[in-house]
Amino acid sequence: MGKIFDWIDSRFGVKQPHKKFLERPVPEGVNYAFCLGGASFVFFLMLVCSGLMLSIYYVPSEQEAFMSIVRLNNDVTLGAFIRSFHKWSANLLIITIILHTIRVFIYKAYRPPRELNWIAGSLTLIIALGSGFTGYLLPWDQKAYWATEVGTSMASTVPFIGKYILYLIRGGEDVTGATLIRFYSMHILYFPTIMFLLLWAHFHMIKKQGVKGGL
Amino acid sequence: MAEKRNKEFYPDYLVEISIVIFIAVELTVVLALVYPQLIGRQIDFSTPYRPLPEWYFLWLYQAVRYFPGRWAFIGTVLLPFIAAISLIMIPYIDRGKRGRTRAILVGVSLLLAFVVLTLIPYISP
Repeated sequence: MGKIFDWIDSRFGVKQPHKKFLERPVPEGVNYAFCLGGASFVFFLMLVCSGLMLSIYYVPSEQEAFMSIVRLNNDVTLGAFIRSFHKWSANLLIITIILHTIRVFIYKAYRPPRELNWIAGSLTLIIALGSGFTGYLLPWDQKAYWATEVGTSMASTVPFIGKYILYLIRGGEDVTGATLIRFYSMHILYFPTIMFLLLWAHFHMIKKQGVKGGL
Repeated sequence: MAEKRNKEFYPDYLVEISIVIFIAVELTVVLALVYPQLIGRQIDFSTPYRPLPEWYFLWLYQAVRYFPGRWAFIGTVLLPFIAAISLIMIPYIDRGKRGRTRAILVGVSLLLAFVVLTLIPYISP
């Protein structure tokens, strides 16, 4: 035991840089509410894993998107389960992020020097909501289409430049296949990448500043 | 060993955190099995239809209803923008004397607005 780990460690050096992180002191007055951020991260990782699986079968095209979901649901082993799993992780992620935000607020953990970490966290929530919105269109069914039609039309109410923003979001005048591929790209490339960077910054700052203890 | 020592992340908390991870995964598996995602209907382009959005966008859906016509941008853009900015700026609202009181005021109104506006469409669709 341990030989493989030692082999990797002597070349890759996994132990030393993580020592500080693992051995960092945890202050008094920490309770289970402090797990909410960690739970959010778990849900995020679950979303990444199930999303990677879904992306193997999903076809982001106007003609095939709906049928690919039907196929995933009916023919693919555990396909329906992975889809439900993805959806539920997303819901739970939003819930735990909100609760985590409330916890941090109550414990005044946004105060200096942690302001920037609060901002990174708030942006994470906004990106999570964006992922929820773009993900909603992907099944390309009745509800998805009209929810996106209504949701994106809100952009057109922006004074003066609304028309152009709407065009940019939809990739045209109406919600079409162009919108679908735009939302797909946002959902699986842009938002997860931004999310990873934000979370890296979030954890980096926790490492630097430590956890703020009791009230 | 009764001596008091500083607790460290590993192993004191990592063990407990792994239980939280287990519960998170388990909860999702159970919910996914008990309440699976259903297949929707095919798109009917001919008749416009106004579905309820996801629960976390209901507040926006409700806010938009209060500002019809030319004032629509208040509900669709201005208020969400103000909400997002005030959430991000919480550390700067909590500055100086009475800073915490101001921050609580902003935080509680954001939360109340979210909860109340989310509940209204459920109660009276």
